[in-house]
Amino acid sequence: MKVKNNVIINMYLRMKRIREFETKAMNLFAEGSIPGFVHLYLGEEAVATGVCANLDDKDYITSTHRGHGHIIAKGGSLNEMMAELFGKEAGYCKGKGGSMHIADATKGILGANGIVGAGHNIAVGAGLSAQYQKSGQVCVCFFGDASTNQGTFHEALNLASIWKLPIVFVCENNLYGISMSQTRHQAIKDIADRGVAYNVPGVAVDGNDVFAVYEAADEAIKRARDGQGPTLIECKTYRHRGHFEGDAGAYKPKEEQEFWMQKDPLPRIEKYMIDNKVVTPEELEKLKAQVMGEIDEAIKFANESPYPELASAVQDIYSDIVEEGRVR
Amino acid sequence: MASIGIIANPASGKDIRRLVSHATVVDNNEKVNILKRIILAAQTHGIMDFYIMPDTYQMGYAVIDSLETRRELKANIHVMDMSITGSMRDTKRAAEEMEALGVGCIIVLGGDGTSRAAAKGIKETPLLPISTGTNNVYPQMIEGTIAGIAAAMVAKMDIPHASCMRDKRIEVYKNGELADIALIDAVLSSSAVVGAKAIWDVDEMDMLFTTRCHPASIGFSSIAGYMRIVRPEEDLGVMLDLKSETHRVLAPIAAGVITELTVGEPKEIALNQTVEMKMDSNGVVALDGEREIIFREGDVLGFKITREGPYRVKVSETLERALEEGIFSK
Repeated sequence: MKVKNNVIINMYLRMKRIREFETKAMNLFAEGSIPGFVHLYLGEEAVATGVCANLDDKDYITSTHRGHGHIIAKGGSLNEMMAELFGKEAGYCKGKGGSMHIADATKGILGANGIVGAGHNIAVGAGLSAQYQKSGQVCVCFFGDASTNQGTFHEALNLASIWKLPIVFVCENNLYGISMSQTRHQAIKDIADRGVAYNVPGVAVDGNDVFAVYEAADEAIKRARDGQGPTLIECKTYRHRGHFEGDAGAYKPKEEQEFWMQKDPLPRIEKYMIDNKVVTPEELEKLKAQVMGEIDEAIKFANESPYPELASAVQDIYSDIVEEGRVR
Repeated sequence: MASIGIIANPASGKDIRRLVSHATVVDNNEKVNILKRIILAAQTHGIMDFYIMPDTYQMGYAVIDSLETRRELKANIHVMDMSITGSMRDTKRAAEEMEALGVGCIIVLGGDGTSRAAAKGIKETPLLPISTGTNNVYPQMIEGTIAGIAAAMVAKMDIPHASCMRDKRIEVYKNGELADIALIDAVLSSSAVVGAKAIWDVDEMDMLFTTRCHPASIGFSSIAGYMRIVRPEEDLGVMLDLKSETHRVLAPIAAGVITELTVGEPKEIALNQTVEMKMDSNGVVALDGEREIIFREGDVLGFKITREGPYRVKVSETLERALEEGIFSK
């Protein structure tokens, strides 16, 4: 497959944004600047990027508790994300949702989600709406390996298949469900195999190679737009950090970590870009500097935003309809 | 005491060709089933030691667990003590170690790519490839039970190569150095990335080299196979310009995908003759259907067909020979 240079550079920028955003979030969390929980996407950048590079703003994604990467890859605002992590009023959820509830309807981002497996069925709803309205939209559902043991995964694949919904199910198999190795939580190795039970084509790809993900997603999204129904893509990847910040990840063998660090997606795409003269080394440094500038700007934006007013703590909890009903 | 080695590729049967064609899906539990059938058949014919490549799905242990639970296991199954990389390197290394252990036959479960990886690790050991992959010209669709019996016969033969065929291979050289091999076909492609590895877009293919071609084959070698036949026994190969517009040919390049192509005249390549070409742009060489060798503008690629491929077990001939020797009547 030929991938245009501007697409490659765009994918690199997205991956680098995720890498630097997450690295900064890691450090800020350690310093105590970020309240709540953060689950970092470090190491998995190629998955969200390779998939979302094939999508438009009007296409939907559903995300997970480890959602920063999906949101950045889909074009979410770094400023509003960082402000949300800081609990500031200028954040995506006015500072009241934190890391796991970021959504952006203008970008088709249907929300990060603290409940494992909750995105599957939201994706089916989004896919059904796209099909019903003949809008040409596609919904990509991101989820982890362990969530495929939830009933929602099976219900979603079944419905999506029987109704031929325009959905791409993208499994980020990072080998662990929290701290439990995949070998201990399911009696299969390839989650792609689970598609067969629902007559959904399942393919497994190297999730740390952005081009492999891009190609598979390209084909799957074409199928979805063409009315051929859902696809299951399993991306084999690895999270560099623990399940959440604070989890030292002692259950991950050292050799395994070293093996996967050699497959780190960022150096791979950088090497490709240099080797294939997509950019010169100087241009690559400029791209890196551009991203670092964006991250610094996001932190500045977050720092300068006020905390939400105390009175707003009970606002946005219930819809206005309910509030109005109570008044009546 | 004769022993058998078994390599089952846990990644075969699930690549992107399930999306871009209608390729067979083979899950790993079915591969475990095939392993069981091989072992039960071969142990009945006196093979008491089996060496199995370790893999990420731990198929070897699944076989032991199942057969011991059913009290059917008489032989010793050794899951080899080697680290796993989860890549093609595991297959090559397991094959090397099996040859060093002196196994009488190596059974390989996978597609053309898996056989290719195993072939890179061995020199003398007979190879019996079973298809659990995608485009399968090299491995056969064969029942595991029969493969197990045939492998047992080969392992016990005084002359292990008696019912084997020494296959051809394509040696691919990059700037004078042997870069890799293919057993069936090598395709020169203008694809810029290795990406999802499998290759399917004929518009990106420039040149085909093949060790054999036949209209009963699937995959890229079939493009030449719908113009002429070159059999495994013949000491020659074929190259075909896929950018030329001399002939039109309809060929089954993938499962359920029959494509019309315009191509040049198939040219014979004699055994041990090297075809060299200087590349005028970047690209990738796909070996047995998978993008493997990245080349850059200015690199010189060489393609040589030799008879240095593996000794492949001819299953029917092996069993016929055993029958003639009265082995099954004892």
